[in-house]
Parts: sequence; C-alpha cells; structure tokens
Amino acid sequence: MAQVVLKDLVKTYGSVYAAKDVSLTVNDGEFVALVGPSGCGKTTTLNLVAGLIPITSGDIIIGDRVVNDLDPKDRDIAMVFQNYALYPQKTVFQNLAFPLQMRKLPKDEIDRKVREAAKVLDITHLLERKPRELSGGQQQRVALGRALVRDPAVFLMDEPLSNLDAKLRVQMRSEIKRFHQDLNATIIYVTHDQLEAVTMADKMAVMNGGLLQQYDTPAQVFANPVNMFVASFVGSPAMSLVPLEVSSTNGITSLTSAEGWHLPLSAENARKVANARSKKVVLGARHSTIRLHKEKLGDAVPAKVYTVEPTGDITFVQAFLSGAIVNISLPPSVIVEPDEMVWLEFDQDRIHLFDGETEMALRAE
Amino acid sequence: MSSTGDITTPRPRKQIDGWRWTGRIFLVIMLLYTALPMAWMILTSIKSGFAAMQFPPQWWPTEPTMASYQKLLDPQNSVGQDFLRFFWNSLFVSFVTTILAVVVAVPAAYAFSRFNFPGRKFLFFSVLLRNMFPAVIFLVPLFILMRWLGLVNTHGSLILTYLTFGLPLAIWLLKGFYDNIPIQLEQAARIDGATRFQAFLLIVTPLSVPGIIATAIYSFIGAWNEYIYAATFLTKNEQLTLPVGIQRFFSENTTDFPGLMAASFIMSVPVVVLFLLLQKYFVRALTEGAVKH
Amino acid sequence: MTIATGHAAALQRADIKRPNVFQQMWASRADYLYVLPAIVVMLVVIAYPIYYTVELSFFKTPPGLQLRDKVFVGTENYSTILSSDVFWKVTVNTFIWTIASTLIAFVLGFGAALALHRDFVGRAILRAILIIPWVISAVAASYIWKWIYHSDFGVLGAVMVQLGLADRQPNFIDNVHTVLPSLIVVNIWREFPFAMIMLMAGLQTVPDQLLRAAKVDGASAWQRFWHVTFPHLRGVSTVTILLLAVANFNSFIIPWITTGGGPSNASHIWITHIYELAFGRQRWGVAAAYSVLLFAILMVLGYFYVKALSGNDKQEHGA
Repeated sequence: MAQVVLKDLVKTYGSVYAAKDVSLTVNDGEFVALVGPSGCGKTTTLNLVAGLIPITSGDIIIGDRVVNDLDPKDRDIAMVFQNYALYPQKTVFQNLAFPLQMRKLPKDEIDRKVREAAKVLDITHLLERKPRELSGGQQQRVALGRALVRDPAVFLMDEPLSNLDAKLRVQMRSEIKRFHQDLNATIIYVTHDQLEAVTMADKMAVMNGGLLQQYDTPAQVFANPVNMFVASFVGSPAMSLVPLEVSSTNGITSLTSAEGWHLPLSAENARKVANARSKKVVLGARHSTIRLHKEKLGDAVPAKVYTVEPTGDITFVQAFLSGAIVNISLPPSVIVEPDEMVWLEFDQDRIHLFDGETEMALRAE
Repeated sequence: MSSTGDITTPRPRKQIDGWRWTGRIFLVIMLLYTALPMAWMILTSIKSGFAAMQFPPQWWPTEPTMASYQKLLDPQNSVGQDFLRFFWNSLFVSFVTTILAVVVAVPAAYAFSRFNFPGRKFLFFSVLLRNMFPAVIFLVPLFILMRWLGLVNTHGSLILTYLTFGLPLAIWLLKGFYDNIPIQLEQAARIDGATRFQAFLLIVTPLSVPGIIATAIYSFIGAWNEYIYAATFLTKNEQLTLPVGIQRFFSENTTDFPGLMAASFIMSVPVVVLFLLLQKYFVRALTEGAVKH
Repeated sequence: MTIATGHAAALQRADIKRPNVFQQMWASRADYLYVLPAIVVMLVVIAYPIYYTVELSFFKTPPGLQLRDKVFVGTENYSTILSSDVFWKVTVNTFIWTIASTLIAFVLGFGAALALHRDFVGRAILRAILIIPWVISAVAASYIWKWIYHSDFGVLGAVMVQLGLADRQPNFIDNVHTVLPSLIVVNIWREFPFAMIMLMAGLQTVPDQLLRAAKVDGASAWQRFWHVTFPHLRGVSTVTILLLAVANFNSFIIPWITTGGGPSNASHIWITHIYELAFGRQRWGVAAAYSVLLFAILMVLGYFYVKALSGNDKQEHGA
C-alpha cells in the first residue's frame, strides 16, 4: 500500500478545464471519496491518477514515484469501473487471472491467487461462469476480485455501486468498507452519492466545476462546509438555504426577510455577518436543527407548510420561508397540514451563514 | 341507438387486419418476384438444350437431366476443366482478399473509433469517398499501374484492387462495431497490466468477432461477384475468375441456356450458402454499428 | 430551489495555448500505425488513378494505349463530349436509371422490412429467400433475366401470351422503348434486399416503449408508423438511399452483360458508355474527360454521402 499525492493537477480539453489545480494527499491506508455532481471533474481526476488520460500539468505521486508519464500498467494500481468492465468473453476465473497473466506469473501461482481472492469474496462457486450469467451484485464482487487479486498499491473505484439496486447497494457498501478495513488498503473512490462518501470514507474531497471545494473528514465537511455548494451537496435532505439581508437596530444585528420579519443573531453570529462583503447573507440550517412551532414563540419566524412526507419514524416537512424552501424533520406525533402557517425556531449555535456574494462560509474572525 | 357501440369497437380491429393483409399480399408478391426467376434458372438448368428451346416453354421439365452439371463439373472434359479452374481461381482470389481486408480493416476501424489524431476526420472521409467512384474510372490507370508493378495477368492485381473497394464499407461497418464496445474494457485491461496493443488484441478483438465475420462476408461476396476488373486485368484463360470465365465461354456458345443457367447456379451457391449461414452477424453488425444513431 | 455555485461555476475556459498541429501529430504518431496500411493501399489505388485520369483528359491518344504518343489537345475532349447527341441521350438514361432504381428499390425494401418486422411462422425462411438476389453475382442475375426476357423462348413473354396480355412473344430488351425499364426491373430485383436489410436493422432500433406509449395515447397503426417509426428511421433511410443512388449511378454489369448498351444506345448509361469509348473504340482521352465529368457529379453526391455516413461518428475526449 502507498500514499497518493496530487499536486496542482490540471486537465484541459481544448480550452475547457476538466480539472483545475487539484491538490490533495491520500495517506497510506486511507479511504478517500471524490464526490460531486456529474461533470464536476471527479472521474477525470481518477482517470488521471490511473493514467488513462494524459495530464496537462501538475504531478501525481504514488508511493515515492512520480508517475506522470507512466502507462497505467506500470502504476501498480487496480481499478473497479462503474459498469464493472468485466471481459465478457472470459469466465470469472479468466477475468481474475488476466491481471496476473499480464504480469507473467507462473500458472500455479495464478491459480492459487485467484482461488484465494475468490474465497475472500465468496465467489468460488462462480469461477467457471461468464459475466453475463451473473447478477449485478455478483459481477460487482468479481470486479472487486479482479482488483484484489493483484495486491496493488492503490485501489481506484469509479462509482462501483451506482448500477446496483438500492438494497444491494447498502449491502455492498458495508462490504467495501469491510474490505478496506481488512486490507488496510489505500482507496480512491469516486461517487456522485454523498451518502456513500459520508458512510464509507475516511476523508471526502468535494469537487465542482473541475475545482476541489473541500477536502476533509466527512464529519468536518458536514459540520463546517466551506461554501454553499458543499453545504447543499452534503447531507440529505439538503441543507436549507435562505437568502436574507443583514440589518442592525439598537446594536442588535438581525437577518431581515423581505416578508418583514427579523431574526436576531447571537453575538458570535453577528461577528460572522460583519465579515460579509455586502448586506446579502444566506442562512443555512440542517433539517434536524430547526424546531417547528404551531404558534409564535420567541424568535421563531413565520413559514407556510408546502409538503408533508411521513417516512415512519420521522416526518419530513417542506415549508416556504421568505421565498425559499426549508426542510424540517419532525417526530411523527406532530401533525401538520399543507398550507398551514407555522413558526420556525433556529438554533443559533448550529446555523450556517454564507456570504451572499461569494457564497463562502462566514467565519467569526 | 344500439349500433353506436358496435361501430366504435370493431373498427380499429378491422384496420389492423387491413394493414396485416396488405403486408401479407405484398410479401407474397415480393416472394414471387424474388423466387420465380431463381426457380426458372434451376428449372432450365435441368432441361436438355432442346427442351429449353420450345414454345410455349415446358413449365416443368418433362425429362429432367443433370447433363449440364455433369458437363461443367467433369474434370475429364475440357469444359469441366475450364469451369473447375475458374471456380478455383474465384475461390482463391476471394479468400485471400477476405483475409487481407480483415487484417487491414480491423486496425484502421479501431483507430477511427478510438483515437483522436489530427487528420482523423479527413482520412475517414477519404476512405468513405472511395466507394463513390466507379470501377470504370480506375480501369485504365490501374491497368497501367498493374503493368508497372508487373501484376497484369496475375491474381495479385485483382486482390489488390478488390481490397480497396471492399475496405471502405468494411472499415465503416467495423468502426460502428467498435464504437459500441465500452472503452472501460480496454481501460480495465490497461490497468490490469496490458499495453494498449495488448488490450486491443486480447480484449477488444475477440469481442468484435461478429463484426469481423460481417466484414469478411462482405469482402468475400464482393470479390466473388466482381466482374469488370477481372475482365480487364486477366486475359489468359487459365486465370479467369467465374464471372468472366462464364461470360467468355457462353458468348461463344450463345444457345446453351441450360448450361448457362447451371453455371449461374453453381456460381451462386457458395455465396448464398455463406451468407445464409452467417447473415445474423451481418444484420447484427448493421444494427449495432452502422444503423444506430 | 436552485443554488448558484459561485466561483466554482461550471467549466472554465482555459487560458493556456493549445499545442500546434505538428506537436499533436507527433504526440499521436503511434495512432497512425493503425491506419497506415489502409491509407497506403488507398493512396496507391485511388490517388494515382485520379491524377492520371485528369491528366489524360487533356490529351488525344492513339489506339492501343501507346501513351508515349499522346498529344495535348486542351479541352477538345470536353467539347467533343458536350456537343455529341449520344452524351445527352446517355445522360437522360443515367438519370432515369438511377432515380427509378433507387426509389423503387427503397420503397419495396421498406415495405418488405415493415411486413417482415412482425413475427410469423416462416418469417426467417421468407427473409432469407428475399435476400438471395442481393447476394448472387450481377453477372448471374443478368444471365437469368436475359433468358427470362429472351425474344423467342423467354418465359415472361410466354406467360403473357398464355394469359392473353400479348398476342405474340414481346421483345423486351431488343426494343428501344422497353429495354431501359426492363433492365431497371432486373436492377431492382438485385437491390431491394439491401434496402430491406438496412431498414430491418433500423426497425430493431425503434424503441418499443415509444410505440407502446403511442398506443396508449390512442395512436392508430398508421399514426404510430408516421409519428414514431418513420422519424426514427430517417437516418437509416438517408444512408440507404444514398448508398443505392451511388451504386446505381455507378452500375455497369447489368446493362453491359444483358444488352451491351443497345439497341441504338437505348440502354447505355454513363459508365457503360465510358467503358465502350475506352475499351471498345480506344478513345482513351475522351473516356478520361468523361470520367472527370463523372467525378464532378459524384463530388456533389459525395458531399451528402460523407455527411450521412459520418453522421454517427461520435468521438469522445479521452481514450
């Protein structure tokens, strides 16, 4: 296993940046998820690490080697593809054996290693089958096996779970996590599903528009998103974002809505909004930090219920607040109706404030 | 009125039946158009020369005879010797053309499908354009070229020429096929330790076998049926291919229609059998490649 | 609710300079190896003949292809052609031949493909029989039909006499009025299966879901065809019609073997005429000039041809 360092990685197509100045370090044995919406550059970045496309500039270091100009086969990596990319004309055994054959291992050693890997992944009984005779989950295992059999320095995974149905995805998620723990493998994992990243990865790298937005532990990214994009991308349901204006009366700083209400800010939050470039500030809050009241109470602000979605143990409510939609979660015992007027109370210690112009998170210093 | 319900329900049904019947009648007419001339070829070929020249014709041969076939396929007499040699020549030329066409078209189609090198579009267009030009335009210059290469009166001249007119469509068909093989397979292979060429040879090529078969059929049939170059480049009797050989032979024996029909039949058998056996690959290559948008 | 993404907006324009074309060519030098064999063959057998034909069209040559003795005559060959009556007659023939063959073969092939699309007992056999004429050689087809059209013993005429459609054996291919339509029938016989195969392949790509959706929306069989199937086949149809048109424009074997262009040029089309001028009358220069005119027409057709054929040429980044 080895660490992977990306230094100012750039990839352009013609005059368009697919990845711009991406720098990050994946430590030995770390599971890093690259997340972002489609077209954000995460797959491009992975392909650059794999050597499947040439880099425009920057450096890729795997272990202690700069691999910029090395062929994929010489980078000591393994990759699992979204559509598994199992060789359709080969049996499962031949699929697993292929990387070893390419390295010209003796036949008996290939046989031993393939069976070992098959045993670990519980696919021994499938070895003589062709990929098209396997279910999606089985194909997924074979794809993992083909990566595992070689003992590579780094595992690269490109949306390996997105072709599976929901139930299987949850199951494979824990298996891949297990796989990482057992092997202490270095894994770079691309996904558009932030939930996969949050649940599996040691660190997540959120990308958008070819730029790395934030690289940190899932807990940190969740708790302290650096900008509105990260805030809205990580977490489900998404963080609610309400554009408001800063006003100040009698030394008290508040957020003011065009609808006429004011939300007084705590001293620390007041220091944050003081750093905003203009009066425009966006209030962010996660569903679980908002309390819903049926009548006006304290600093609660008025909203109108839009939809109510009971899921059993939690009821999700969407409500209009100052023209924006806010997600709130409630215990099922609270009953609200669409179009009902309600009052929302924000937890001053857990709200997020963003600069309305730069969209960056506001800090107190 | 009670009849309103009756009018609305059966009507669509009647329409569907109408279309279906139109289709059936159309197919029967097309079947007659297609099959009757071929049937007449076979029926004539098993008549004697005398029986063929009757009016009104014998719709069904009263005394069927295999004499024409025996004459053509008998290595003992001179007609049979010539005919079998033509047959062998056609087989040889078509076979070698097919092998070479596959060897040349496969890498070219792959490159056009996968790589993005400067001039790719231009080269692809020029390859396609080749099919635009009729053989006649190339006859004289190619004849001179072949004379210069010392290939006149050799099968090499035909093979080289057939290669060029078979290639464009072969490349086009195969390229469509390669376009549909997921690039991830090659990427996986390269990560698994294969070079780009190994990935092409070990992973992609086996997958493109149906496309290659389609290409091969196309080249083989094209070469087997070609007439005009063979008529121009070959003058020695022992080198002629079937279409030219039959034409020369029967322009001297203008009234032997049973013989001519038997020869046409024998000439058609190999390509028809080949095509019918492998047609699913051909249709598949079209469906998966060329026709898909 | 949509969220603007601020400084991390979509993909940005790069300010870097692209490598020039020679650097790119050098960088992808290995790629050329794959196409090299095809290109070499093409160059030898295409580029040289084209150059040669254009050059020869400005010369007068003695018979026997003794090219050392050729004489430069400027555009005389061209004016000879354009002022001859035969040229215009042959041109009209060529257009009738090309357009009629192409359209009828396409319509028959389309009809057969549609009728064969629905599954029924014997479909595979029927399809196989319908394809055979396309596979057998044009030489064989010419002989078969020459025999069917035979002026004394032809079966077609005999059938017509028996059915009372004619009072004596009609003369199909020795008659200036009927020879061209008769040959077109032969040509269509050989070509409609190609249109059929192409359109059958095309029909398989029409998504079932769309047809079912249209059915649910209450569309009749005809409406489903017109609004779903037909638009879906536009691409295939264009390619098929162009391929047929090019092949027909370049036809040689059927008219040449069956009638040799006669009687009195009634079945000559451009290609057979050029062939006769060159190899029959040894007027190489005039034949070359004819060929150059042919190029000009083909180039126009070729523009659409290349456009249609490369329409599905998708190239992604990467690889």
